Amino acid sequence: SGELYCSLPNPRNVRFESINMKNVLHWSAPEGTGDGVLYKVKYAVYGVGKWIRKPECRNINRTWCDLSSETSDYEEQYYASVKAFLNGTCSDWMETARFNPLTDTKIDPPMVSVSSTDRSISIMLTAPEKWKRSPEEESISLLQVYPGLQYNVSVLNKKTKKRWFFSISNNTLVVPWLQPGTAYCVSAQIHVPTPLLDSDFSK
Amino acid sequence: EYEREYAGGSWIPISECSPTTATICNVTEDISAPVAYKLRVRAELGATRSPWATTEGFFSRAMTSLTPPELRVLAEGQHVLVQLADLGPSFQFRLLYWRKGHESRVQQKVLREVSSVVHLDTMEAGAEYCVKAQTHVQAINRSSSFSPTQCVRAQGDTSL
Amino acid sequence: TAGNKIFHFGPCRVSMSMAEIRAGFSAIKANIQSRDPIRSLSILSHPHSLHKVKSSDRCCITHQLLSFYVDKVFRHCRTEDSFVNRKISSIANSFLSASRELGQCREQNNCVCGEESTEKFKQILANYEGLDVTSAAMKSLGELDILLDWME
Repeated sequence: SGELYCSLPNPRNVRFESINMKNVLHWSAPEGTGDGVLYKVKYAVYGVGKWIRKPECRNINRTWCDLSSETSDYEEQYYASVKAFLNGTCSDWMETARFNPLTDTKIDPPMVSVSSTDRSISIMLTAPEKWKRSPEEESISLLQVYPGLQYNVSVLNKKTKKRWFFSISNNTLVVPWLQPGTAYCVSAQIHVPTPLLDSDFSK
Repeated sequence: EYEREYAGGSWIPISECSPTTATICNVTEDISAPVAYKLRVRAELGATRSPWATTEGFFSRAMTSLTPPELRVLAEGQHVLVQLADLGPSFQFRLLYWRKGHESRVQQKVLREVSSVVHLDTMEAGAEYCVKAQTHVQAINRSSSFSPTQCVRAQGDTSL
Repeated sequence: TAGNKIFHFGPCRVSMSMAEIRAGFSAIKANIQSRDPIRSLSILSHPHSLHKVKSSDRCCITHQLLSFYVDKVFRHCRTEDSFVNRKISSIANSFLSASRELGQCREQNNCVCGEESTEKFKQILANYEGLDVTSAAMKSLGELDILLDWME
């Protein structure tokens, strides 16, 4: 298509930000442009020649665009691109680096549920789910995506301020013989050895 | 070895030691594959250079010597805890532990990437437990000798 | 280690320090992929994805791919950047060791090549030979994570 002569500065820092494979394209406004800049977005599957426009992100003034649906197949890799428009002029298309949903996503901490008797605590961990289009869609645990997924669990004795660590592969842990009437804080992190991915510790 | 067989015998410079005034160079990051390596050094003074001096024979990381891990064993209540010096992702620690007097019933645990106090097991009240550890590197399938044994006693019938 | 993987293909086994290989690749991924401007062609994953290969053919295609990288790819990837060259050398030597290990098993006829994997590998070579050597080698190296993801 005949493109306008594009003299507008380019959008900057165009990149995917991904959490649990919810893949959102982000960018910064072109330098020196105030309000009124509009954007349009396209994406491409690496190895396939076609750029595909994202209608929901056409002529938008925000600086992000959710491409989770378009990039949900994590056996593929993707590029995305953004173009800015202002007062009849435009910028160049600015592309991301190649995006690999499997290795370039961040993982949320696991859900931690704790129950206790007077002398022990039982900890149940649940790995987060992969992003899905709608609540009705079948859930896929990140445990299925990353079979080598492990948990690092920290148990802090609030009285002595001492912290112990456990490294487990299954999702339950019982810590017996604790001191009655003492507060213990439990926190857990997900560790995937390869590709190397570590979540933060849960609150 | 790849360079010798597939890249015309080319050499890969190590920038941290080119140049260097030291007579030692840490090549750990470069010797990161389970194959045989050759290394060479030459001296430079102003514009003059010596011939290359090359290692005799080959070096492979499987030839490394593995030292026993620094181990610290603690008891807290009826819990045995261990602390090991972290040696990086290539190392695992194999721990053997037993209740004193029950030497025939030794238990084993493998710990990876320890960076703090790790819970080993729960003890019976008042019992004494002994622990020793060795490092193991899967990539070269070799282990160190064991650390000296350390024993700790669980507190009586009360917890930590 | 946290990332040393033993891959079993029937009686065949190959051990690879996947964590070290992936760490090496991650360190140079942006640099290598930025040298490959062609978005519309993939050496490994199009038109047929590696993920469609039958499990019975995994041994053969894994060996073919390891040899492909050792024979054709790494040697044509020398760059002007010493850091990148050192990482490529580490990965190349790890692949050399793994392809030898698997090669021995193939010689004992325990790693049979079916029609599908032969066809798939022909496609990969055709994709590769469709470009000039350096571009094809750089593109293949930039797709190393596609191979590692599939292997794991």
